[in-house]
Amino acid sequence: MRQMKDSCSSISKLLEKYFDQEVTDKERLLVEGHLQDCPACRDALTSMEEVRTLIKIPIEKAAQKEDFPWVWQKIEREIRSQEKRAWWQSLRSWLDLSPLLKKKVWIPAVATVVVLLFITAQVIFKKTPSYSETSVVEYVESETNNVMVYDLEKAKVTVIWLFEEPEKEPAAI
Amino acid sequence: MVIRGTGEGTRRNMRRIALLLIVFFIFSFLPLSMASAQVQVRLRAIHASDAGSGVDPSLRDLHKELGSLFSFTSYRLMREETLNLSLNQPASISSREGRIILETTLVGLHRGVAEVKIRVVREGSEILNTQVRLFPGRTVLVGGPRHTRGGVVIYALHANF
Repeated sequence: MRQMKDSCSSISKLLEKYFDQEVTDKERLLVEGHLQDCPACRDALTSMEEVRTLIKIPIEKAAQKEDFPWVWQKIEREIRSQEKRAWWQSLRSWLDLSPLLKKKVWIPAVATVVVLLFITAQVIFKKTPSYSETSVVEYVESETNNVMVYDLEKAKVTVIWLFEEPEKEPAAI
Repeated sequence: MVIRGTGEGTRRNMRRIALLLIVFFIFSFLPLSMASAQVQVRLRAIHASDAGSGVDPSLRDLHKELGSLFSFTSYRLMREETLNLSLNQPASISSREGRIILETTLVGLHRGVAEVKIRVVREGSEILNTQVRLFPGRTVLVGGPRHTRGGVVIYALHANF
């Protein structure tokens, strides 16, 4: 009986490994030989199986209800990445922002874009003076001579003419 | 069971956001960079006089206007330059004798309008100072300064957009 108890204590260490199918062939033969003669260890093994069944059923039920969308998305993405795709398909996939839309990362991104739009709109839509085709000359000045401005509208020519005096000939002596 | 996003996925998303922001920046600031672009101005120096007759063949496009505006008998192209004007960067051409210098400075560039400041300097003294708006298809003639060999100098300016 003592020998059996000793054997039980050493087998019980192997029993969990045996239950998980992690024992070597030698250990498996040893455990199976012992189980034939030891009702206590058989009961212990039965208890393990019952516990596993108790745990397994609710987990499987819960797993059936849950479709793990992220897992499937990752799996599908990995499968797609294995396939050889056309460049435009790759580009479309790369630009697919649907995962981003589910996260809150778009909040700072949209805020940045709005700020930039506001800044650039100031520059792009800055009120520019409306120029008339007739106002070609903004100003003209000469401290030494008279100046005339003349527009030839039909030919789209503007003339700025400086009335410069001819060079004076040196006086004959 | 806990499913967490991987670091690779987060990095990929960050890369996407970064690229989109870069593209947005480029398109946002494109008008700014265009606004600071150069403008090409075709500049011709013409010697108009009553010595001889005829119009230089290279002034064929201005022949009609020169004939209707002025009473000179001869128009000869002395010099032709295409200046790439940048904002507030003066560019000048001088007559062969170097006595007259025409200095042009781009002071503004709006949609289809280049504002150009023009100075005519004779022997270091400014004789004319003006600012004009160059529109597409419009020519500005600045004339009147005396030429050393008689007649006058006429500068024809035309902007290429």
